[in-house]
Amino acid sequence: MNPHSTTHETASVKDYFGALFNGIKTTVVGMWITFRYVWGVKSVSIEYPEVREVLPERSRMRLFNDVQNCISCTQCAMACPVDCIYIASEKMPEGAEIKKTSNGQPIRLLLTQFTIDTALCCYCGLCTTVCPTECLTHSHDYEFSQYTIDGMKYDYLAPDVIAWRDRIVKV
Amino acid sequence: MQTRWDIGEPEKPTINADTEQMKSELLVLNMGPQHPATHGVLRIEIWTDSEIVAHAIPHLGYLHRCMEKHSENIDFRGVIPYVDRLDYLASMYMEWGYALTVEKMLGTEVPRRAELLRILTGELQRIGSHLMAFGTYALDLGAFSPFLYAFDYRERILRLFEEVSGARLLYNYIWIGGVWNDWTDEQLERVKTFCDDMEEEAKKYHELVSMNKIFVERTANVGVMSLQDCLDFGATGPVLRGAGYKWDLRKNKPYSLYSEFDFDVPVGTGEQGVPGDCWNRYIVRMKEVIESIKIIRQVMDKLEPGSIMGKVPKIIKLPKGEVYVRTEAPRGEIGFHMVAEQDQKTPYRLKVKSPCFTHISMLPRVAPGQMIADFVATVGSIDIVLGEVDR
Amino acid sequence: MHNVDLNQLASLINKNVNGANATAHVPEDKKLDGSITVETSHVAKVCEWLRGNSEIPFNALQSISGVDYMEWMEVCYMFAHFDVAAPRELILKVKLTDRVNPNVDSIMKTYPAADFQERECYDMFGIKFNNHKDLRRILCPDDWKGWPLRKDYVAEKTYNGMDIYPDNKMNYEDRDYIVRQAMIKKAQETKAQ
Repeated sequence: MNPHSTTHETASVKDYFGALFNGIKTTVVGMWITFRYVWGVKSVSIEYPEVREVLPERSRMRLFNDVQNCISCTQCAMACPVDCIYIASEKMPEGAEIKKTSNGQPIRLLLTQFTIDTALCCYCGLCTTVCPTECLTHSHDYEFSQYTIDGMKYDYLAPDVIAWRDRIVKV
Repeated sequence: MQTRWDIGEPEKPTINADTEQMKSELLVLNMGPQHPATHGVLRIEIWTDSEIVAHAIPHLGYLHRCMEKHSENIDFRGVIPYVDRLDYLASMYMEWGYALTVEKMLGTEVPRRAELLRILTGELQRIGSHLMAFGTYALDLGAFSPFLYAFDYRERILRLFEEVSGARLLYNYIWIGGVWNDWTDEQLERVKTFCDDMEEEAKKYHELVSMNKIFVERTANVGVMSLQDCLDFGATGPVLRGAGYKWDLRKNKPYSLYSEFDFDVPVGTGEQGVPGDCWNRYIVRMKEVIESIKIIRQVMDKLEPGSIMGKVPKIIKLPKGEVYVRTEAPRGEIGFHMVAEQDQKTPYRLKVKSPCFTHISMLPRVAPGQMIADFVATVGSIDIVLGEVDR
Repeated sequence: MHNVDLNQLASLINKNVNGANATAHVPEDKKLDGSITVETSHVAKVCEWLRGNSEIPFNALQSISGVDYMEWMEVCYMFAHFDVAAPRELILKVKLTDRVNPNVDSIMKTYPAADFQERECYDMFGIKFNNHKDLRRILCPDDWKGWPLRKDYVAEKTYNGMDIYPDNKMNYEDRDYIVRQAMIKKAQETKAQ
């Protein structure tokens, strides 16, 4: 008879003590496994604010756009499945010097707005893969909680956001 | 054909009370996994007579995100982040199923290395998902430490995925036509060590939980979903296999390169309890972990350098028509029914057949007559993720 | 891919179910899946035959999906046969031309799996399934208005006094949104004419 059977009506004395012994044995085995963790296994958790994990290179955290390299092609805005990237651009004024991006593409349009609503962003990474000049990247910043939802909108043309560049962009 | 659907109004249980003044009425109780981080949010209205469940009515929709409607407005590549969020514990399979659907309509050929990497990530994901199922199931039944051990090993898989795809849960890794990134040799080495460790670890889990007398008493002979019930309700995955039916799409209707691989399909044999009960469903999952390790080892032998992305047009447009593609996800068969119109950049209609949706519809069938504590064990054993139920 | 000869199956259905009027649709493009369309009023009988027959049985209902083609609506039943020797699938369709009060017989008696699937289809498309025991919304709240997956669905502005799309969170200049609105407007105009 199956020692684990739950039909106790027909259980004989042998079955009863068999089940009892089985119960004690399996519990002790399980407790022993847990007990070994007291000194046998080293801990795997880290104490977060003091110790920080080094993120893998491909980690997708907050988006950062290096506006100096942006050519306003709007491909990222079109690829975005949640439409959280707002781009506006206008024609370069007459006679303005045409700058080049770091990989040699001429910047023919004047970027007037580049805003990402991080509250909507789903961190899928589709926008970074279509970017022709690789100016839009996922940085490794993951601590950016805000008090209001408007604070999650980042205008990448604002001077304080441009100042992140030195910290974020890995050249 | 005999009909097996006869729940109707909840039957009032007869109580052998010797006094006329005694009054008994059914008590309505709301139950369900309510934490969005593990199973999701579900409310089951149970009508109980003291400790015995007379009737259970699942109320779904708490995680409904209109994914099917959304996908009608997004281009084919942009749907992938949305299908990721269906079954967030096994995102790779959701992406894979969707990618196969679009590839089938496009007629894209996926390079061999990409197919192998898909199988590699898929099977790793299956291990991760089953570890989660194991941990949370033990947690549902009151055992806390297995949860921590399982998470320790799941963390290694997530770390690998994070290094490869850049995210820990919602990867966006399997793309239409191939995969996003290649694995380095160092990462593949780590997968090998992981497989060796995992095999040892699985033995520990069996000692710790599977054969534990308390666990067996809680799960064996509890929540029996018979084979006939499973077929009636269209159950798939570990639920169907737990009932003793040897059906696995990877084996019986191979997609991708699964026909090249040698592995078994574990079924519930009634080692403890009867086939179709909670214990058998649980043990099928644990055995599948070992089978997945087998598959991963074979992938390692077959992997050769090569391209990881097939030829896909920059703007995807599908021919007019429809396909229905099923794949074997950890929780059962996930099916994508795609209807496309000529020259449209978006799906015309994308219907997701989710396995847990069918499994939840079996709960009203199983619940009557169970104790409340057994019902908890039953709900835990079908390993629901409400993200794909509600979509 | 489906392992089913649709023409043969359609003729079998016609032979065994009177008035089913089954027509097989086999696409020229081999990549795509074919389907069988049957008479709306006979779908329950056809399903009963599909499950019980001995020639080409289908022992499991996978899902029920609705498709809205503006002029008509379709209910697609996805069947599968879980059998190691002969795995197969079938897409069975019925066409509904009435958009105001579309209804079709429930197949819950034959395939209990249809219970939740039909409720979902009702929830999303407003297709009524006759003889269903408990036909109510499943994913949307019970007091939701409209049928969300219909193509002409326009979302309500408020729900129980709450703003559904607060202005500060909507990007109304979204290209696709405008395209969709234009499409709906065009469809409504053609319908009015």
